[in-house]
Amino acid sequence: MSQYYTSVDHFVLVPAILLALFGCAVLLFDFLLFPEPRQRKYLVWFVALGLVFTGGALWRQQHFLSVQKIDSITAFGGTLTIDGFALFFNWIFLAASLIVALISYKYLETAGEHQGEIYGLILLANCGMFFLAAGTDLITLFIGLELMALCFYVMVGFLRGDRRSNEAAVKYLLLGAFSSGFLVYGFSVLYGLSGSTKLAAIRMALESRGASDPLVILALVTVSVGLLFKISAVPFHMWAPDAYEGAPTTVTAYLAAGSKAASFAFLMRMFMGPLAPSRELWEPLLAVVAVASMTVGNFAAITQSNVKRLLAYSSISHAGYILLGLIAGNDTGVQGVLVYVLVYVFMTMGAFLVVAALRRKEMLGEDLEDMAGLVHKSPGYAFLMLIFLLSLAGIPPTAGFIGKYFIFLSLIQTGHYVLAVIATLYVAVAIYYYFRIVRSMFISPLTDRAPAATSLGLKLALAVTGLMTLLIGIYPEPFLSLAQNSLLR
Amino acid sequence: MPEGYLPIFIYLICAILFPIVLLGLAKLVRPSLPGQVKSEAYECGIQAASNARGRYTVRFYIIAILFVIFDVETIFLYPWAVRHQKLGWFGVAEVTVFLLILIVGYIWAYRKGALEWV
Amino acid sequence: MILLNLCLALPAAAFLLLLLVPRSRPGWSRWSALAASLVIFAVSLALLAEFDGSNGGFQLETNIPWISAPSIRYHVGVDGMSLWLVLLTTFLTPVAVLISWRHIAARVKEFYAFLLLLELGLIGVFVALDLFLFYVFWEVSLVPMYFLIGIWGHERRIYAAVKFFLYTMAGSVLMLAAMIYLYNLAGTFDYGLLMADLVSGRMQLGARQESLLFLAFFVAFAIKVPLVPFHTWLPDAHVEAPTAGSVILASVMLKMGCYGLIRFCLPLFPTASRGNAPWIVLLAIVGIIYGALVAMVQPNMKKLVAYSSVSHLGFVVLGVFSFTQLGLDGAVYQMLNHGISTGALFMLVGYMYERRHSLEISAYGGVATPAPMLASVFMITSLASLGLPSLNNFVGEFLVLQGAAQANFTWAVFAAIGVILSACYLLWLYQRTFLGEASDEVKSHMFDLVPREWAATLPMIVLMVWMGVAAQTFLPSIGAANARILDRMQQGVVMDVKNTMPARGTEVARAR
Repeated sequence: MSQYYTSVDHFVLVPAILLALFGCAVLLFDFLLFPEPRQRKYLVWFVALGLVFTGGALWRQQHFLSVQKIDSITAFGGTLTIDGFALFFNWIFLAASLIVALISYKYLETAGEHQGEIYGLILLANCGMFFLAAGTDLITLFIGLELMALCFYVMVGFLRGDRRSNEAAVKYLLLGAFSSGFLVYGFSVLYGLSGSTKLAAIRMALESRGASDPLVILALVTVSVGLLFKISAVPFHMWAPDAYEGAPTTVTAYLAAGSKAASFAFLMRMFMGPLAPSRELWEPLLAVVAVASMTVGNFAAITQSNVKRLLAYSSISHAGYILLGLIAGNDTGVQGVLVYVLVYVFMTMGAFLVVAALRRKEMLGEDLEDMAGLVHKSPGYAFLMLIFLLSLAGIPPTAGFIGKYFIFLSLIQTGHYVLAVIATLYVAVAIYYYFRIVRSMFISPLTDRAPAATSLGLKLALAVTGLMTLLIGIYPEPFLSLAQNSLLR
Repeated sequence: MPEGYLPIFIYLICAILFPIVLLGLAKLVRPSLPGQVKSEAYECGIQAASNARGRYTVRFYIIAILFVIFDVETIFLYPWAVRHQKLGWFGVAEVTVFLLILIVGYIWAYRKGALEWV
Repeated sequence: MILLNLCLALPAAAFLLLLLVPRSRPGWSRWSALAASLVIFAVSLALLAEFDGSNGGFQLETNIPWISAPSIRYHVGVDGMSLWLVLLTTFLTPVAVLISWRHIAARVKEFYAFLLLLELGLIGVFVALDLFLFYVFWEVSLVPMYFLIGIWGHERRIYAAVKFFLYTMAGSVLMLAAMIYLYNLAGTFDYGLLMADLVSGRMQLGARQESLLFLAFFVAFAIKVPLVPFHTWLPDAHVEAPTAGSVILASVMLKMGCYGLIRFCLPLFPTASRGNAPWIVLLAIVGIIYGALVAMVQPNMKKLVAYSSVSHLGFVVLGVFSFTQLGLDGAVYQMLNHGISTGALFMLVGYMYERRHSLEISAYGGVATPAPMLASVFMITSLASLGLPSLNNFVGEFLVLQGAAQANFTWAVFAAIGVILSACYLLWLYQRTFLGEASDEVKSHMFDLVPREWAATLPMIVLMVWMGVAAQTFLPSIGAANARILDRMQQGVVMDVKNTMPARGTEVARAR
């Protein structure tokens, strides 16, 4: 160890090192250890092993924080910070990666595109997410974002033979690069304003400049564009339905859950950190974006006939809900954001998993009609999907309700009554389209008798997501207190 | 502060003037016999302007990407080379990690057949 | 205390148990659902033994923390009003199981599973003493009913199910917002603590604040009751639902709305309740007369009974918003009466549908000839429903009218028209379906009640008579509970809730 790389630095960086190491190793193992295509599924176990090791490293950090009774560990001169917030999100990322790895092999095998690279990409994307949650420096954050985004560009286009997948990848790549450009431009202005890339230093510089400085506004707007694109909030949501629809469903699940959660971590770091002094500027801005996201997401979802597109629009509206917690901005609101993201990851992944299970060689299984009468041929999937949809709609006693409850509570606490009423009323709209899927599964007659796919990984993943969706709804206590201890201050 | 930039400014003026003066002088002394072939940017080789939808084999792109990757690698090695005495063994270790990651990529590309032309 | 928790735990357990029953054995599902619902009924009957009818406060309470950070507690208990509603639910569930025995042939296991889940939600609504818990159960009861209508209903079932769901949901989300607002003021969702805060003046609601909160609660409940402008989901849902669904919907689910009015709107927002009473009473009376008139012209039996529900529930709302002891007692009693008599009407209409496969009145006529027992039972039920003295509805309607007359005599005059009209549409229905010459089709299809149907019908008839002649079994405890609410309306005594531990959250302080 040297002055550039102390033991504290190492302690903080271990999860990322492990993820990168396993990511590279999996790429090599693909042809070194398992040259036969049918052996590729063993790579899943390496991914799982890597994630378990990473989890161990994270647990050590969590343990260290609680034993030492400190809020955070800072490393590399303030470019990385491990605090409750970073750990909370990293647990979510690990869970999402594990679930995606578990279901990917069956799905990709069915789609005829089972390449070992997907596992490397999953781990490397997770590595990028680590930096998004733990980074406290513009450059670290940006590199984390690009690492994650690059992996996703490839994963979205993973079905090389499928035109929709290609189209989705190109769209996502072009728009993603465009938004990254905005983001970096904003970063450069922030650097110009403060002379530092450290979030804390930027915050101090902005505090002294005051909110109405035109350069501050410029930085705020450009950074917001980049961030809002990543969370697919209206009006930067156009890519989401196409990318979600075209991507392999397992990747869609990862995109909707992991990528979105990581982007929210990033967004929270920026808005609660350096941009916090200009709250009076961005609060109305985000309020408009949130309401627009809920409106467009909910109403556009009503007319969709493709389940993946429908869920994509619903995820846009969920982004609006999560933003509301940030707008409220008090502790309950931030806790609400954390709880909502946690809940959202499990329920939305679960819903996409069920869609993934319906994929067959000759049939995509993504249309509403493909779900018709699902309860007759696979009641288990149908009931799990019901739970996920109820949760997405926010009906108790599922997890989604707890998330929404916190958002509403924080809005009412801070006097945002109009937003609270709008947000509650959209619940009723959302129910309409979620129940179109329910109707198709439970009420429509069975049209297609071929059995749905099943595999050990799929069962495991569905069990985890279903259990969490119910558990957080019925006994949220431990998760709430975890979020309570993970607030960003 | 601004006077520190004076040499750069002079350099800029010279750089702008140099081609203008040279091209102007050449214009004055050379005989002028324009023709269709002569007025093209290159008189030989591939055509300068053609259909934008023309196709290359995809292998060119892969080779180009590989070139860019390993070219950029050397750029990253430069700062280290300048500072390697100060950074010491830590710098060596960092660069080794960096190179190892690239080597993984290289092996991957090699085994996937990205370097084979046929 | 343990019994009340059992009333919640057993339906949940039975629901899970039913999910494990093999799909290929519908008989097992039927018998286990019947056994489970009977056990639950027995347990709930045992509640009566532990309950002290002279005490108007909450009894048999359990109050344990559920979520600590925003203080939410599992706080359940019953008073003289909710006890009877719980019993009504547990009584009607085995009845619903019995009447679906043959009627539901497809996907039997799921049907009974949803029925038991519905029972859980309904009991929960009536016993929850924490606003959050109440909301959870309120929503839990929605989903199974959606499926009961949507899967096992008639032709336009999907439309009806979605309409039912959206109407209720649209109302209830605003109620949720209002609940959270109250929580933000008081730092607790606990009903007893909220009441104590309001009565002692620790929590003050401004006039505008109170009336907005009142409206948010009121609309949710009014949709459920349903009060007239919000009633359009009801005929659709009733007509399309399977018989058991209609019975539970009419008998118990509509009572959720009435219960909510009495339990929450009146005592939490007394000033706003009084202020808004005139137009609410107007709507109730319009509902009584409008429901009856529309019922009269229905060619469809189920729709007729559905509109009669609108009319009957107008009486309940009228009683509630008369703010008199008699009116409130009558309203609660009328809730129970309506549950029994209209439930029985839906059941009998269901029997007829099973035989003739038609709900059109014109498809019948002269049914009394081939099915005399069915005809007599239908007669008794109709008489009960139209308020014949010595049968149950009479007591409720009489009390409501008396209470309304105490408050404002004109109200009683207009409401009494509804009683007359109900005699018209029910007796006319009877005449068109059961009397006259029986056609060949009616003769060949209509057979008399079978033992299973008797088993479901007889208890209902017995109750109609019992509630008509021995109202004193029920009224004292109902009266005691209502007296508390009226005390509160007069800004009286603190509604004492025993066993109230300090349940306030700390985060109100935290939330600036």
